[in-house]
Amino acid sequence: MTDNLPRPLRLLLGFASWLLTVAITLVGLASLTFFIGRVLPIDPVLAIVGEKALPEVYDRVYLELGLDKPIWQQFIEYLGKLLRGDFGISYSTNRPVFTDLLSFFPATLELATIGLVIGVALGVPMGVASAYWHEKWPDHLIRVIGLIGYSVPIFWLGLVGLFVFYYKLGWVSGPGQVDVFFTGIVPRITGFILVDAAIAGEWEVFWNAVSHMILPAVLIGYFSLAYISRMTRSVMLDQLSREYVLTARLKGASEFTVVVRHALGNAAIPLVTVIALSYGGLLEGSVLVETIFAWPGIGNYLYSSLFAADMNAVLGGTLLVGIVFVLLNMLSDVLYAALDPRSRSLANK
Amino acid sequence: MRLYRTLVAVALGAVMTVSGAIAETPKNTLVIADAIDDIITLDPAEVSEVGGVLASQQIYQPLVTFDPADPTNIIPVLAESWTVSEDGTTFTFKMNPAAKFASGNPVTAADAEYSIRRVILIDSRISFIFAQFGLTKDNVAEKVKALDTSTLQFEVDQKYAPSFVLYVLSSFTGGIVDSTIVKQHEGTLADGSNDYGNAWLKSENSAGSGPYVLTKWDPKVSILLSRNENYWGTAPGVDRLFLQHMPESATQRLALEKGDIDIANKLGPDDIGAISGNADIQILEGVSSTMYYFGLNVRNEALSNPKVVEAIKYGVDYQGIADTIGKGTIKVHQTMIPDGFLGGGIDYNPYSLDIEKAKALIAESGVATPIKLETVVWNVPPYPDYAQAVQATLSQIGVELDLQVVDGGPWLDRYRSHDLDIWFGLWGPDYPDPHSNAKAFGNHDPSDPDGTKGNLADRFGWNSGKVSDLVNQAVQEQDVDKRKALYDEAQRLHTDTSPFVFMFQDSRKVAMRNSVKGVVLGITFSDDRYGGVTKE
Repeated sequence: MTDNLPRPLRLLLGFASWLLTVAITLVGLASLTFFIGRVLPIDPVLAIVGEKALPEVYDRVYLELGLDKPIWQQFIEYLGKLLRGDFGISYSTNRPVFTDLLSFFPATLELATIGLVIGVALGVPMGVASAYWHEKWPDHLIRVIGLIGYSVPIFWLGLVGLFVFYYKLGWVSGPGQVDVFFTGIVPRITGFILVDAAIAGEWEVFWNAVSHMILPAVLIGYFSLAYISRMTRSVMLDQLSREYVLTARLKGASEFTVVVRHALGNAAIPLVTVIALSYGGLLEGSVLVETIFAWPGIGNYLYSSLFAADMNAVLGGTLLVGIVFVLLNMLSDVLYAALDPRSRSLANK
Repeated sequence: MRLYRTLVAVALGAVMTVSGAIAETPKNTLVIADAIDDIITLDPAEVSEVGGVLASQQIYQPLVTFDPADPTNIIPVLAESWTVSEDGTTFTFKMNPAAKFASGNPVTAADAEYSIRRVILIDSRISFIFAQFGLTKDNVAEKVKALDTSTLQFEVDQKYAPSFVLYVLSSFTGGIVDSTIVKQHEGTLADGSNDYGNAWLKSENSAGSGPYVLTKWDPKVSILLSRNENYWGTAPGVDRLFLQHMPESATQRLALEKGDIDIANKLGPDDIGAISGNADIQILEGVSSTMYYFGLNVRNEALSNPKVVEAIKYGVDYQGIADTIGKGTIKVHQTMIPDGFLGGGIDYNPYSLDIEKAKALIAESGVATPIKLETVVWNVPPYPDYAQAVQATLSQIGVELDLQVVDGGPWLDRYRSHDLDIWFGLWGPDYPDPHSNAKAFGNHDPSDPDGTKGNLADRFGWNSGKVSDLVNQAVQEQDVDKRKALYDEAQRLHTDTSPFVFMFQDSRKVAMRNSVKGVVLGITFSDDRYGGVTKE
C-alpha cells in the first residue's frame, strides 16, 4: 500500500512507526519497573528515615514522596515528568537522577567499549579458526578457553587477576579509576576518564587510568569473547558447509578469500546481532566487576539504589539501560542494511 | 606544562612524583577505604549512616565529648564548662571563647542554639534523640536558648542523670554548625517552610569547627575532606582525608598490603586473619557497641514459661560460634549494655552450652517437646550463620527452629508486627549513653503494650517489672557512680530473667599501614577520630 507513496513520505512513515515502537517499549519498561518497584517488600520511607524515627517524621517523608496519592496517579505524574526530561531526584545522592546517570554511565560505557573491542578483536578470529579447524586441536583449545570464560565466576577471575597482576607482579594498578594522586586533577568534560585526560593533556593521568582499566576491561572482554567466539563458530560452521563455499573453492579461490571474504562476509549479519547484544549486556554494568574493582559505574549505582529503595534512581537507571538496547537495535538494523546487499537494494529502490 | 602541573599540585595539595611508578599514598593524605554508598546526607542534624557519621565527625564538634578509654570522663569541647540546676532540669553551658569555625567566625551560644533547634525544626529522622527530652517544634525556642553570646540554656522536661543529657549532646546529632553561614543559605521547602539550610549542608557544603572541612562528596564514590586552616585546636598531621568507596573486603586487603590505601575499614574475618602476618600492617583493636542477640516472643505459650527461656539460654554454643564463625570479630557478651559505655564492662556471662542442664530445664517446665518456633533471620551474613549454629544446638534439647531467612524489609516488618516466635537481630545504640540500650530492652511502658514506640521488651511481650524500675531510676540518678551501680543491678537481673538472648558484641579490628599514627577508635559504630593522625 505504502509502495505508491513518494519516497520522502515513506521514509517519514517508517521513522514514525519506529518512533512509536520505541515509545511503546520505553513506556512498557517504565510501567513494569514502576509497578514492580511498588510491590517490592521495601518501604521507601523507612529506607530514608530509619526504623527509629518519630511517627511525624515518617508522615512528613511519606507525603513528600507523594505516596498518599493513588498509585495510578503517581504513575501518571511520573510519566508526565519523564516526558519533560525530569527523572526526579535521587534521595540517596540528593542530585537529579539525570545528573547521577551522567556521572556513573560514562565509567561503564568506557569500560564496556574497551571490553567489547577486546572481545570482538579476539573472539571473531577465534570463532573463525575454531570453525575452520573443526574438531581439530585448535577448535578444542579455543572451545576450552571459551568455556572457562563462560563458566568461571567473574568475581573469582577478578580477584585472582588482582592478586596476580596487581599485588604480586605489579603490572597494573589496583581498584578505582585512577590513583589517589591523580584524583580530581582532570576537569570532567565528557566523563570518560581517558578522553578527559587526553583533552587536558594530562598524559600521566591518562596512562595511570589505562593501567587501572586494563584488568577489568580484559576481564569483561574475556567474558564477551567467550560468547562471541562460540557464536562465530556456530555461524561459520553453517556457512562453511554451504554450496557456495564449495563453488568458490572449485573456482580456485584462495582459502583466505573463501573463509574471510565469502563465509565471514555472510556470517557478519547474524554476528552483528550477537555483538550488539553482548555490548548491551556489558552496558548494563557488571555489578560484580564494578564491586571488586571499586569502579564507579552504573551497575553499582543501580544495585545500591535498589537496596536503598531509591526508586527514582532505579527507574532512571532501568530506563537508561532500555534506551541503550533500543539504540543498539537501531544500530544493528543500520548495519544490516549496510552489510546485506539485498536490504541495500531495497532501501535504494 | 611543568608549571601547570606544579600549580595543580599545589592547588590540590597533591604531592605528585614525576614518574608514574607510585607505590604509596601521598604523604599528606590519609586514604581510607570503606563502603560509603549508604551515605545520604552529611548535615549533622540528620546524619546517621556509618559512613556519614564518620565524615561529619571530623567536620563538626559537639559541646562536650568523652574519653573513649574512660567514658565517665566527660571533656569540654565547644562548651568550656556547664552547670546543672538544683532540680536537674536546666543545663547552662558556657561557650569556649577560643573556639572558632572554619569561616573564622567565633563559636557562640547563638550557634549552639540554632544547631540544636534545627534538629527538631527540620523534623529530622534523628529528631527522636533530642525529642526524648520533651523538645517539640512549639517549645524548642523556649527550651533551648542563648542567654548571651557565651551562655546557652538547655531545659529538659524532667530530672535526668546529667551524664545522660551530656552523652546525648556529645553524639553526632549534637554537632554545632556556623549559624551565620548556614542562615545565609536557608531555603524553602515545597510546603513553604524554612529548611534551615538543610539542602545546603546536605551534600555540598560544610560549616563546622572541627579539624577538617568538606571539599567534595562524590556520592557512592568518594569523600574528600581538607584541613581546616582556621582550626582552633592542634592542627591535624595530614592535609586531607580521602574516603574511597571500596565495598569488597578482599580488594581492600590487596590495596592495603600494596600500599594504595592507608586504612581498610571493612575487612571481613578471613581477610583480617590473612593480613595479620604482614609486618607492614598494624591492626587496631577497639570495641564497637553493636550487639547481636535474639529475642523470644513470650506471647508464645511455650516461651512464656521461664524454664524454657532459661533452657534456650543454655542451648547456645556462644564461645564456639565466636571462635569458628566470628574468628575474632565478635566476643561473647550477654548483658544489655556494651563494653565501653558507662555501666558496661561488667563481664557477666553466666551462660554457656550445657545440653544436659538445658534438657533438665525443659523437662522441669513440663512443656511437651519438640517445641517448634518460627524464627525470622535477615539474609545477610553473619545472621544466617549464627542462626543455623543456634538451631543445631537447640535441636538437641528438643527445641526446633523453623528458620525463615528473609530480606531486610520483611525482616524489619515481622519484628515490628511481632507475629513471630524468635527474631535474630542486632542492636546499635543511637547515642553513646547506656539509656539507649536500657530503655529499648528494659523499659516497660504499660500505655504501649506492643512496643510500637520502640520498647523492645514490650514488643516481645515482656513485662520487665523490676528491671524497668531500675533503668528508669538510673536515667534520673544524679550521681555517676550510683548510676553505674544501678545499671549493674539492672543488667544482671535482665540477663537472668529477660527473654532476650544476648550473644555477642562486635570487636572492631581496623587494619592500617604502620606509617599511620594517632587514629582514635570511637566506641559507637563509627565515631573514629582522625584529628590527631600523622603519617610518617
